[in-house]
Amino acid sequence: MFAYILRRLLIAIPVLFGISVLAFFMVRLVPGDTVTAMLGTNYNEAQAEILRQKYGLDQSLLVQYGIWIMSVLKGDLGISSLTNEPVIEILINRLPITLELTVISILFALLIAIPLGTIAALKRNTPVDYGASFFGMFGISVPNFWLGTLMILYFSLHLSWLPSSGFVPLSDGIWMNLKTMIMPGIALGTSVGAVTMRMTRSSMLEVLGEEYMKMAKAKGVTNSRLIWKHGLRNALVPVVTVLGIQAGYLLGGSIIIEQIFSLPGIGQLALQAITNRDYSLLQGAMLFIASAFVLINLAVDIIYALINPKIRYS
Amino acid sequence: MKRLVGLFGVVLLLLLAACSGNQGSTSENEEKPNPNDQLESTGEPIEGGKLTIVDLNDAQGLDPHSETNAQSMHYIENMYNTLFKYKEGTYGEIEGDLVEEYEISEDGKVYTFTLHEGVKFHNGDDLTSKDVKYSIERIVEQLVRAPQFEDVESIETPDDKTVIVNLKKPVAPFLTFLAYPMNAIVNQTVVEENGGKLDNADAGSGPFQLVHWKKDQEMVLDKFTDYFKEGLPYLDQVTWKAVPDETSRTTAIRNKEIDIILQLSPKDIQLLSKSEDLTVEPVTGTYWEYIGLNVTAGPLKEKAVRQAIATAIDREAMNKSVKFGQATILTGGPIPEGHWADAKLDTYSKSDIEKAKSLLKEAGYEDGFNITLKVGQNKAQVDAAQVVKQQLQPIGIDVEILQQEDSIFFDALGKKDFEMSIVGWVGFVDPDEFLYNIFHTEEVWNQQGYSNPEVDRLLEEGRETADQDERFEIYKKAQSIIVDEAPMVFLYANQHASAIQKGVHGFDVNPTVSTKSLENTWIDR
Amino acid sequence: MKETWRRFKKNRFAFVGFLFIALILVVAILAKWIVPFDPYYMDTNSTLTAPNSEHWFGTDQFGRDIFSRILYGTQISLKVGLIAVGFSLFFGTIIGIVAGYFGGKIDQILSRITDVLFSFPDILLALVIMAILGPSLTNLMIAIGIVYTPIFARIARGAVLNIRDSLYIEAARSMGVNSFQIMLRHILPNSLAPLIVQVTLSFAFAILAEAALSFLGLGVSPDTPSWGIMLSEAKDWMEISWWTAIFPGIAITLAVLSFNIMGDGLRDALDPRLKNER
Repeated sequence: MFAYILRRLLIAIPVLFGISVLAFFMVRLVPGDTVTAMLGTNYNEAQAEILRQKYGLDQSLLVQYGIWIMSVLKGDLGISSLTNEPVIEILINRLPITLELTVISILFALLIAIPLGTIAALKRNTPVDYGASFFGMFGISVPNFWLGTLMILYFSLHLSWLPSSGFVPLSDGIWMNLKTMIMPGIALGTSVGAVTMRMTRSSMLEVLGEEYMKMAKAKGVTNSRLIWKHGLRNALVPVVTVLGIQAGYLLGGSIIIEQIFSLPGIGQLALQAITNRDYSLLQGAMLFIASAFVLINLAVDIIYALINPKIRYS
Repeated sequence: MKRLVGLFGVVLLLLLAACSGNQGSTSENEEKPNPNDQLESTGEPIEGGKLTIVDLNDAQGLDPHSETNAQSMHYIENMYNTLFKYKEGTYGEIEGDLVEEYEISEDGKVYTFTLHEGVKFHNGDDLTSKDVKYSIERIVEQLVRAPQFEDVESIETPDDKTVIVNLKKPVAPFLTFLAYPMNAIVNQTVVEENGGKLDNADAGSGPFQLVHWKKDQEMVLDKFTDYFKEGLPYLDQVTWKAVPDETSRTTAIRNKEIDIILQLSPKDIQLLSKSEDLTVEPVTGTYWEYIGLNVTAGPLKEKAVRQAIATAIDREAMNKSVKFGQATILTGGPIPEGHWADAKLDTYSKSDIEKAKSLLKEAGYEDGFNITLKVGQNKAQVDAAQVVKQQLQPIGIDVEILQQEDSIFFDALGKKDFEMSIVGWVGFVDPDEFLYNIFHTEEVWNQQGYSNPEVDRLLEEGRETADQDERFEIYKKAQSIIVDEAPMVFLYANQHASAIQKGVHGFDVNPTVSTKSLENTWIDR
Repeated sequence: MKETWRRFKKNRFAFVGFLFIALILVVAILAKWIVPFDPYYMDTNSTLTAPNSEHWFGTDQFGRDIFSRILYGTQISLKVGLIAVGFSLFFGTIIGIVAGYFGGKIDQILSRITDVLFSFPDILLALVIMAILGPSLTNLMIAIGIVYTPIFARIARGAVLNIRDSLYIEAARSMGVNSFQIMLRHILPNSLAPLIVQVTLSFAFAILAEAALSFLGLGVSPDTPSWGIMLSEAKDWMEISWWTAIFPGIAITLAVLSFNIMGDGLRDALDPRLKNER
């Protein structure tokens, strides 16, 4: 068991390293000069030279990467040229918003996926099942940004129920906060819900075919108890893994959804970093998002190993 | 070096222009009742209350001397004072702010200012003539607006209340420069406490003081109780929010979540005018948009080609589809109607495809050519680019639109790395501010690479001439040459409009986009 | 092959998807002749008109016919899909086969690189690549192509691993056939089934990605009749003209949906053992 976890950790390390390399060098490939951007209106050659030295930009790229990665390991991601604040602080400030958005989308996704997937599996090859299948396909096909736009059109502009965008922090009241988060959460969660629903359905079908279910049925365990206690519990194990992979989708989707709904989260930040050519911020955001993805999947794998005794730890 | 600095300056100033886009303009300004009369006639000011005001984007920083965009200016100007300020309800006039009395010598080279008594900074320090001297020197050091003070020879401070500025030569718009809200007087002690930077600090003496600024969320200002203007401000608190999305801004003001929206788009002017709970106030703006033609290379080197483009463009149609017909088209120079320096030229009165074709032929381009048009993220300008492309097709010019991220776009403009561009410029107040920086040879913001000795001479003359009538003639002549040679195709001057919740009084929608009138604003509800 | 087609046709869902894709293809080819209006023509006298018998889907803020623009949009979507997916198919397959066939160090390195690329959300990666290359339709296609390359690499590698040690490859090897020949003649054809499925599904992703990047204003030139651009422009106008936001969205959804259900159907038809999951 511990050997397995250790092994997973060891695989994650080179990947995290690779992420840092890619984030660093891709950003270096973006045309433009960091110091120029940093100084902006205060540009002058002497100051630029001082800054280049300070940030080691007069050194070779490899040395620069070395310097950067060392400070990253110490928790220092550099200073944003846009706001002059430490990148790590900006990321931490914005993390809760993206986190909340992600949690709401996952909750929404599970709320539709599990009942719908289970029912579809139970009523296999009936109109209910086909309906669920269609929802599954539709959910992964509809662009989240269009869904978001449509919700604004209907719920904000037409019905005036919800604000069309903007963010109210939790500290201003849960209800006020939820009002700004519910539409983005649904827009982002729909596709995750569709994928999870398909997963739940097929995994449930598999479980229903297992011997122990047939046994339980033979023993006279009532149907609903059987499904909810034995079936679903086992069926949900692979669903957890799917959610881990979907975390990547959620992080990416948050870029566009946060933009539409003006939520100051990590996704919007990444976009701002790109449009403003804020290199250290972009590097930091890329590193942060990709590492988050790796770590979430690592966690999911470990949880999976813990809850599923069938896994082989070789 | 200075030139390069300026390039970045223009990048940011144009950014401000781009950000503050989406306004329209009207030619009926003078016929409208003065909004102030209207608002102030509703009764005695009431003290107290909180006000929420919304702008398009968040500020970049809070340092008055190094920031350049309109959003930063709005945050900053309410925390600081300037020596002079724009007179509310007017366009182009100024009055004293920190200055109680002033004197200008006969030769126009010595300015003597007497400051108000008992002005305090937010930290309790007294504001003295030394702070004024320090601030002007700091503005020059920070480079962004150094050109405005390049003719300052020396500053004397004979006593705490008196400042004497000696100029090398007369500078006609000097007081206007001093009224620019970002040329604020800062507290030296606070600057030094913050390591020379004011990006997140408050070193002001203005009507409101900084409580907190959470980037991209809100900026909260509290009433400064020791403000030197007796009884002001009325409001207890002002909250600024940046809401880039037009729809959510209009929804929020309808739902009474906010009190004022700045910089309404033409579409929203139309939409919100219908609401009974809101006052929508449009005034002639100083923000105008143009097609920039890089005169240094390619077909655009030819004057006739540039004239052909200026002739082919149908500004009326463009105004209609891009600005809902709410801007004022510019068929002559950039200074709009209603300004004393409006030259009333009507060179390109309407689109004339035949004439444009013959001009192209004259230049040897009768078969047309391909060209790239760069544009940033500003929606109205992206829209305008699409119209330009359509309008130039009939004369054989095939335009390819290249939309870039703002930072890249403005950088390219500064480096003259473009053929055609669509962007805007905030003229502000003095004709010098409208023209000098962008048309004078080698001047830092002359992105088109335009150079004409005659224009240079006129612009220099205008800068040193005090008499308004003489200046009118000078600028008229300069504008007619510029319009004829067409390094820019002037499109339209925008309207500047705000939506204000009923019950909010005393807020002045100023062509300069300044929001300093918040110190006189009060709420009755 | 026949068996596959029979199984595929039996899946009514997937067949409808296939027919719709065929329709999109026909529209894209014939767009020039079948559009009622020039999609670029600006009629300043009929801006933002609601759908009517003349303009079926209404007009946009420039008075351009939305229906015509949507028909033209099929060209952009298909072009992006074709080139981006072609790019990732080509490079991904090579990388995957090389990694799977040679195994060992090469496989380790290539697989880790794929893992790294997978860790970045596709939109973020595409945005950064666009920032490096600059905005244009070609660069957009390359960016999307790069982003989806690892998927093909992973699938190809998996397929190769399945058959690498099978008898007939052993036989070919012992007969002295060189590695390149083995890869081209034996391994590639046997990896085709999952790759074809992935091609179809990737088409759907590519169309979505193009729409998303264009929606953010970082994609193609703004006057292009791309569905994503139309949506992004509509956002400003939908308050007063809902049709600008509805129809381009439907177009994207239908196109993506068609490729998704066809991909799904193909997977079931080509290999009934493959799971119904994404």
